[in-house]
Amino acid sequence: MKERSSYADMQVNPCKMCMPMGASLAFLGIAGSMAIIHGSQGCSTYIRRHIAGHFNEPVDIASSSLTEEGTVYGGARNLKAGVLNLTQLYQPRVIGILTSCLAETIGDDVRRFAKEIRLEHPELVADLIPVPTPGYGGSQTEGYYAALRGIVAHYNPPEADSWKRSRNPRRVNLVASSATCADLRELKEILDSFGLEGVLLPDYSDALDAPFGEPYEKLNPYGTTVEEVQGMKVAAATVELGVLVEESLSPGMYLYEQHGVPLYRIPLPVGLECTDRLLEVLGDIAGMETPLKYKMQRGRLLDAMIDSHKHNGLGRAAVFGDMELAYGLTRLCAENGIKPLVAATGTANQQFSLYMGKLLEEEGLEGEVLQDTDFEVIRERILDRGVNVMVGNSDGKFIWEQDGIDLVRVGFPIHDHVGGQRQRIFGYAGAMELLDRIANTLLDQKHRHYRKTMLETYHAKEAVES
Amino acid sequence: MSGNKKVIDKILDVYPAKVMKNRKEHMLLKDGGKIQEIAANTRTIPGIITNRGCCYAGCKGVVIGPIVDMVHIVHGPVGCSYYAWGTRRNKGKARENGKNFLNYCFTTDMQESDIVFGGEKKLMAAIDEAVEIFNPRAISISATCPVGLIGDDIHKVAKNAKEKHGIPVLSFSCEGYKGVSQSAGHHIANNKLMQEVVGTMDAEKKTFSINLLGEYNIGGDEWEISRVLQKIGYNVVCTMTGNGSYDDIAKSHNADLNLVQCHRSINYIADMIETKYGLPWMKVNFIGVENFTQSLRNMAKFFGDPELLARTEEVIAEETSDIEEEMETIRQKLEGKTAVLYVGGSRAHHYQGLLKELGISTVVAGYEFAHRDDYEGRDIIPYIKIDADSRNIEEIKVEKDEKNYFLRIPEDRLEELKKELPFNQYEGLIKDMEDGSLVIDDLNHIETEIIVKALKPSIVGSGVKDKYIIQKMGVYSKQLHSYDYSGPYAGYKGAINFARDIAAGMLTPAWSYITAPWRKEPLLTGKVSNMEGAESAC
Repeated sequence: MKERSSYADMQVNPCKMCMPMGASLAFLGIAGSMAIIHGSQGCSTYIRRHIAGHFNEPVDIASSSLTEEGTVYGGARNLKAGVLNLTQLYQPRVIGILTSCLAETIGDDVRRFAKEIRLEHPELVADLIPVPTPGYGGSQTEGYYAALRGIVAHYNPPEADSWKRSRNPRRVNLVASSATCADLRELKEILDSFGLEGVLLPDYSDALDAPFGEPYEKLNPYGTTVEEVQGMKVAAATVELGVLVEESLSPGMYLYEQHGVPLYRIPLPVGLECTDRLLEVLGDIAGMETPLKYKMQRGRLLDAMIDSHKHNGLGRAAVFGDMELAYGLTRLCAENGIKPLVAATGTANQQFSLYMGKLLEEEGLEGEVLQDTDFEVIRERILDRGVNVMVGNSDGKFIWEQDGIDLVRVGFPIHDHVGGQRQRIFGYAGAMELLDRIANTLLDQKHRHYRKTMLETYHAKEAVES
Repeated sequence: MSGNKKVIDKILDVYPAKVMKNRKEHMLLKDGGKIQEIAANTRTIPGIITNRGCCYAGCKGVVIGPIVDMVHIVHGPVGCSYYAWGTRRNKGKARENGKNFLNYCFTTDMQESDIVFGGEKKLMAAIDEAVEIFNPRAISISATCPVGLIGDDIHKVAKNAKEKHGIPVLSFSCEGYKGVSQSAGHHIANNKLMQEVVGTMDAEKKTFSINLLGEYNIGGDEWEISRVLQKIGYNVVCTMTGNGSYDDIAKSHNADLNLVQCHRSINYIADMIETKYGLPWMKVNFIGVENFTQSLRNMAKFFGDPELLARTEEVIAEETSDIEEEMETIRQKLEGKTAVLYVGGSRAHHYQGLLKELGISTVVAGYEFAHRDDYEGRDIIPYIKIDADSRNIEEIKVEKDEKNYFLRIPEDRLEELKKELPFNQYEGLIKDMEDGSLVIDDLNHIETEIIVKALKPSIVGSGVKDKYIIQKMGVYSKQLHSYDYSGPYAGYKGAINFARDIAAGMLTPAWSYITAPWRKEPLLTGKVSNMEGAESAC
């Protein structure tokens, strides 16, 4: 039989989602915002379901509910009615207008529609931010960045002489991706520890991990505020966590090109080295050395790494999911002696192969790097390479069910366990927590079979009789 | 329930005039003294946050997806197939051929170039791959939004693929924008099954043979139903489509009786099968002890066999005695509680009996995508106005199949039975609701919040999208679409599973800590910034 990966025309068990998904998540991190997806009802419903199932929180995304009539005659009427109804019912400060496959295929121009709504309804207070996100245009990752860039561009339009403006030396823009709510809180704490006035974009840490007991508000009051986004152009620097997405989608690159904000693009702070890098960059900007707290945390992480290194050395891992996270997780595995034998993302991105290839070469590892792939290929490689632990989102559960390979659930989505939104991965503390989980999974494999293996090896006769 | 009228006013108050006018037609206060009408199956209002899905979701997600031995290829960009991957929790078991692809998700993953240049070639290649790798019994192709618009002819591809590979390839033009909800997709899917699958294979005639229509085996429901039916002595020929197999559906025309569980998604097919093959259909309800028992008795009456009748009573006695005591213990704990049910097109009705057995009364019920007949009963069908959206969904006509048509029981006996048994009959949800309770169609986010706040029900049976809204307000919410990773809930063992699950959920100590010790007052705070001007309380 041919190898599965030689088939190219059908995705079997995709390892990616669509653009409006990522864009919806980005808007959930903006205070007082709501998104409306211009398309048929299903897009918004599926995406709400998918996000709510992971975060265990209400996720309210509107739809222009296009029907056949709108599809034939254009969807402007539906979208405009949708924006007006949404405004009256929720009074959002920001409305993200996202497109779908349908809207893009019929050629609806949401940028024009947004302008028309503004003209026709001068009383409308909400800011309208149209972001084209055709489902066939990329994966959730591109959608996420497109929305962030759209938001940043909307509130920081090009200006003459913007390069010459004075900057706030304490302000730092921190653009996050693939972050859990706990990760976002970790980033805020790190910014605070450096005494920096951070603008974290986006910040869904409270919206999507809201404390019970606060009055439930239909319109999310939490997240990065419009004022904060408006202030990004005068920041001393932008630190963008993520290095793989193309520059044309990078909000940090936009701020650099249009407003001269210096840009650091660094990998997600997953694992020791990448966290070192983030702290180093923030230290440079703040003009101070790493706070004691993080020196202690780094020491503790190292201690944990040494506590578990014997077990980690037996790890033969497959890492998959969002490309930036997969890259970070692969580095975390590599620095702990867990062999990343398969590293995969469904997103089509040559940078991923390039960065991963370089990483594995540097570490002298023979891993297999797959981009633009699906879980059937990932599974084939996992079985080929004798992987004993998977590190990735819960879509790996089908391999876990079928082949019994342990899955350490990290990333998005985690649908079959609770608490995905609360897991901390970023920073020294996050790395420590994740590493312990992986090491314990490997340890349990030993514990589970230890007595049986001994019995079969040394007491084979009795084993048969018993 | 006098406050319920106020709830409707409160809801209508928040809306702009046009929306108000529309939504008003979709809600009513039950008044048994009147013939009441409700608007349903009309367009969703843009911008209000409804829980409805799309046509594709109804076709692939609900009806076609559960058939176990088919590879279901979604022709379109990645999202549509991905989001429907295993999420409905329709379970299935491989037959003798060993084929079961329910845990898989297949998509042509169309890219921008496919949208521009067409995706037919890619689709054909995907079918070739599916055959080569998985060797399925049959293949389905479901179209997503862009497919029809760019002119991909999936039916031609299906025809060519069928010739090439010698297996059935079913193609569904179920683009998401068709119709007004999932319901359109059910029609498109079922029509095709009727036209191309049902009656295409010869079947051995079995005694006491039945088909389960509109049962989707969520969390294993169908397995529990079939367990009891087989214990009594029935032959379950086919389930449409939960745990369904291609061959079973192809042979279903030869059974003696069709049982309709979900009226919404399949009643028209039951009608067509009767016209074409003479197979009568009866409405059943397998949810709840009483309802299940009644359905079993009705079935036995149809066959009229003394042994079957006796065996039915034996099994009922045996099964109910197994669960009676625990059901009663749980009922005592839940007595007097109230429920709001907002589910698809049948469960908001089906679960009321089971809840009642557990001491819980339903104060609000509504459907997501039902039609007027699901609310008002089948008598209304001739009077339902067909609008443009419904007209766009193909209606098929069938005729008597002279070769395969036969009467199961003499016509006069069937007529006699119709007087006491629910043949070709469904009286709808409204009739079973108590006076003063509310019926609301296509409930949305805002309305859910107002209802929960005003009526403070003990349980809301709904879906994952509104579950967390409800729970944030301190009310237990049970997913009645996919059962929160639990089930089965149908039949006898299902009833006790359900009772245990909801008792555990409603009575968890966690709810008792809602009011923090430093807040002696209930959580009443200032006004929220929305139009209704109501107080925001948890």
